[in-house]
Amino acid sequence: MTATPSTDPTPDLVIDARAVRLSLGNGGASTDILKGIDLSVARGTSVALLGPSGSGKSSLMAVLSGLERASAGSIAVDGLDFGTLDEDALARARRGRIGIVLQAFHLLPTMTAQENVAVPMELAGIADAFDRAKAELVAVGLGHRIDHYPAQLSGGEQQRVAIARALGPRPALVFADEPTGNLDAATGVAVMDLLFDRRAATAATLVIITHDPALADRCDRIVTLADGRIVQDLTTGDLKPGNRPR
Amino acid sequence: MSDWALAWRFARRGLDLKFRGLRLLLVCLFLGVGALAAIGSLAASIDRELTARGSTLLGGDIQLAVAQRTATPDEMAAMQRLGTVSTTVRMQATAVAGTQSVPIELKGVDGAYPLYGALTLADGQSVRAPGPDAVLIGQALADRIGGKPGGRVRFGTATFRIAGIIGTEPDRFGEGFTLGPVAIVSNAGIARTQLVQPGSLYETKYRVKLPASADPAAAAAAFKQRFATAGWTTRTRDKASPSAARFIDRMGQFLILVGLSALVIAGIGVGNGVTSYLATRRSSIAAMKILGATSGMIARTYLLQIGVVALIGIAAGVAVGIAAVPAILAVAGDLLPVTPGTSIEVVPLALAAAYGLLIALAFTAGPLSEAGSVPAAGLLRGVFGTRRRNRAGMAWAAAAGAAILALTLATSDRPLLAAEFLAAVIGVLLILAAFGWAIRRGAAALPRSPRPLLRLAVAALHRPGARTGTLVVALGLGLTLFVLLAAIRTSIDANIARTVPARAPALFALDVPPAREDAFRRTITRIAPGATIKTVPAMRGTITGYAGTRVADLKTIPDDAWALRGERGLTYAATMPEGSVLSAGAWWPRDYAGPPLVSVDQRLADALHLRIGDRLDYSLLGVERSARIASFRRIDWETLGFNYVLVFSPNAIRDAPHNLAATIDLPKARVAATIRALLPLFPSVSVIEVGGVLDQVRTIVAGMAAAIAAAASVAILAGIAVLVGAIAAARETRTYDSVILKTLGATRAQVLGVQAIEYAALSAILALVSLALGLGGAWFVVTRIFSFAWLPDPVAIGMTLAAGVVVTMGLGLIGAWPVLTARPARALRQL
Repeated sequence: MTATPSTDPTPDLVIDARAVRLSLGNGGASTDILKGIDLSVARGTSVALLGPSGSGKSSLMAVLSGLERASAGSIAVDGLDFGTLDEDALARARRGRIGIVLQAFHLLPTMTAQENVAVPMELAGIADAFDRAKAELVAVGLGHRIDHYPAQLSGGEQQRVAIARALGPRPALVFADEPTGNLDAATGVAVMDLLFDRRAATAATLVIITHDPALADRCDRIVTLADGRIVQDLTTGDLKPGNRPR
Repeated sequence: MSDWALAWRFARRGLDLKFRGLRLLLVCLFLGVGALAAIGSLAASIDRELTARGSTLLGGDIQLAVAQRTATPDEMAAMQRLGTVSTTVRMQATAVAGTQSVPIELKGVDGAYPLYGALTLADGQSVRAPGPDAVLIGQALADRIGGKPGGRVRFGTATFRIAGIIGTEPDRFGEGFTLGPVAIVSNAGIARTQLVQPGSLYETKYRVKLPASADPAAAAAAFKQRFATAGWTTRTRDKASPSAARFIDRMGQFLILVGLSALVIAGIGVGNGVTSYLATRRSSIAAMKILGATSGMIARTYLLQIGVVALIGIAAGVAVGIAAVPAILAVAGDLLPVTPGTSIEVVPLALAAAYGLLIALAFTAGPLSEAGSVPAAGLLRGVFGTRRRNRAGMAWAAAAGAAILALTLATSDRPLLAAEFLAAVIGVLLILAAFGWAIRRGAAALPRSPRPLLRLAVAALHRPGARTGTLVVALGLGLTLFVLLAAIRTSIDANIARTVPARAPALFALDVPPAREDAFRRTITRIAPGATIKTVPAMRGTITGYAGTRVADLKTIPDDAWALRGERGLTYAATMPEGSVLSAGAWWPRDYAGPPLVSVDQRLADALHLRIGDRLDYSLLGVERSARIASFRRIDWETLGFNYVLVFSPNAIRDAPHNLAATIDLPKARVAATIRALLPLFPSVSVIEVGGVLDQVRTIVAGMAAAIAAAASVAILAGIAVLVGAIAAARETRTYDSVILKTLGATRAQVLGVQAIEYAALSAILALVSLALGLGGAWFVVTRIFSFAWLPDPVAIGMTLAAGVVVTMGLGLIGAWPVLTARPARALRQL
């Protein structure tokens, strides 16, 4: 199945999700994870997804990034209607369009840092993938580690490789799922500084899942989920000490 | 860059020169392909040798043979019109030197012998037919009589000077099974021995060297057609020894089926190995998908990665096949009928490689296609859910299975047997898989034990992710193979033992003149007063037709109708011979004088669909005769007495010149003295010690048993590799259990106890299943493939099974060692 352009009349939206529902499991044993999510994200902004465990943050990220197909509703990402795409078409749609950073890094253990960063660009058919991967690693301060394997890198270094890998193909949209969850506080701050710097340099839209209010504060917008629904949606201008989500 | 090129780039990055995770795949393919390649190479190189040197092995382009007579002038003229003719005579005789007497094959040759190849002496000198008073003797005869060049040896009434020790007898293979070493004299020398008399059992063979353009089969067929009733048997250079070639071919086919079974068993290991490998790669696969890899790209990447390792395993197996022929020649060359060259046999090697690839495809297609369906979102949740069955993978596996079946059937000359064999192997696997399922279900249905260790052991059999199915198949295969091999081995050993029945005679004697039968008996009873001597008239003849069918017109000889091939012993009797039971018809009266009658072996009658009253045509001394079938008999072939397929009424063949054959039953201590007494008085009589003949039979059967054991050992090794792989695969979950148990205060002995209970329960159930499956398989091999009696030794099988249980339990517990030694603190950090 091939990706088809959306007829969305608001092209400045990089995410346009309407009445998104997600149920997992079969028949009577199925569980409703997302219960009608409406979310629009403007291009170039940064959004923090907050919420307690089990609120549906990671699941929302999964359907918005095409890792999971929504049970109902419509999702358009960067002008593409995800609802019409099968699993492989969604994988192709992610190439060069969506970058993902995960809590546990999930680098490919059999590949060097440079090879890890090059993979999405190779999949996207970018000819100079290795040169760009090297430049990206230099940009995240790992120019001296390009031939190292994940097992030879510290946690912070691994996450920096993951950031370079996510941003290397210059995606329109970057998702980060608890990117500092496996790191100590100081390393976490350094990694987030890097993530925000690189996002600014590449003009990507950033959607970040976090429990960390300080990290959420750095975003343009904070969306709070509970029990599969959006319960609060604040932009930076709305954020005051009294209504800051916790 | 194409998808495949990109997939190859990713695959290369994941390849590990130490083959971590894919060693089971490597070992299993290496074992399976190696066994097939070795067996196929050996069979093909023997076949190539037989074909390439057919003229030399036969002694001519065609051989025309006739029993108990020489060619008539008319027949000789017809042969000479075909090409250059060499005449040889072959008979059983006794070599006497001093006090030594040895049964030998006496061969008379003319000046033209050998038409092909060279008759050489032990010192390498090439020679022709010896002079009338000289003999060339085989090394075995020289050893027995202490004979040296210049020494003397007597055959019949003539004494010969030993002119040399034979190094190479070029047509040895074409002569077939012989009762003793060979001695070659000239045809004039044969005449001097006076062993050739009317009625003597000898065979005259005329080898013809045809012009290069002539078609041997057409020439032989035309000759046989022209003298259709004269009892000629023919051979052509492409079938120098049809029975030996057929035996080698059948043995090769059987061993290839055994090798193929080993490969199918190895396939289980391949499948398990790949499944385990891909399970460890799930997070990498999901990560690749998050980065935009499609399921097709994932499948291609791992197909290439696994394909490379599979190709290395297959290549190593093929290398074993190449090295096998010289290695087998070095170790067991004496057991082979010919000494093949050491050329590389491309076809069997390619066939083994093709089987390896197809098996790899059949057992990896499923796991590979499932790998593509690993959900990317699993990384977010840390769980990947249950595997989805993939139709494409199943279709590929089914196609590969069908290709294996087609290849087996297409390359087997007994496709039905091959199909049965493969069906049996697959049936065993399915039964074991079904047992695995049943054990899992049964364990789940058991009431929960109050004892925690027992509860854990039972739970280990049925909990989600349990490897019970794989373990049951692996354990069951191992035990089944142990039982199978023990049952085959003990049956064959018992068959060998039965070739020496308590009532077997000590001596056979051939060519006893009927007129001197009384003197013969008296000579023996003088030495051994209690000796039992039985004599029967002995002639040689060929069946030329039956129930209106001409044997010459048959395109193929039915399987059980071996009596139609070449000459048969013929006899006559007024009363039914001992060891036979009438199964149909009636025996003729003692003084019967009507039209000629014959009694036929029931098995031959069944094979040819004969009926009482049918006409049987046969050639005796070049003259065709006919008789009506009066009865069928069941023959007890194991008595080693005189068992004739055809027994005629005396008036049918008594008129033909003939001698008597005798069995002599006497104490072992009297054997040598009896032979010494007989030979001077009866120089034309050949006396053969039964023990020597049985030794030859034992050697052949023992060789077969060794070949079967060697091939089956590969299957056992493959089974053990599968078991080790299954245990290793189950280790991950066991390590988790073990660490948690130890954290909670369990000792190592208790942890080991959980595993021991689990393996003991599985082994106990599987021992019974394997006993039934192994005995069934062994029965099939022993009775259907080798037509031996089913004589397994229950004690030996029981002990082998017990040893198998101990070995498999041991392997399981050894496999548990790393689990036991896992340090909780370190392991918990990694969990």
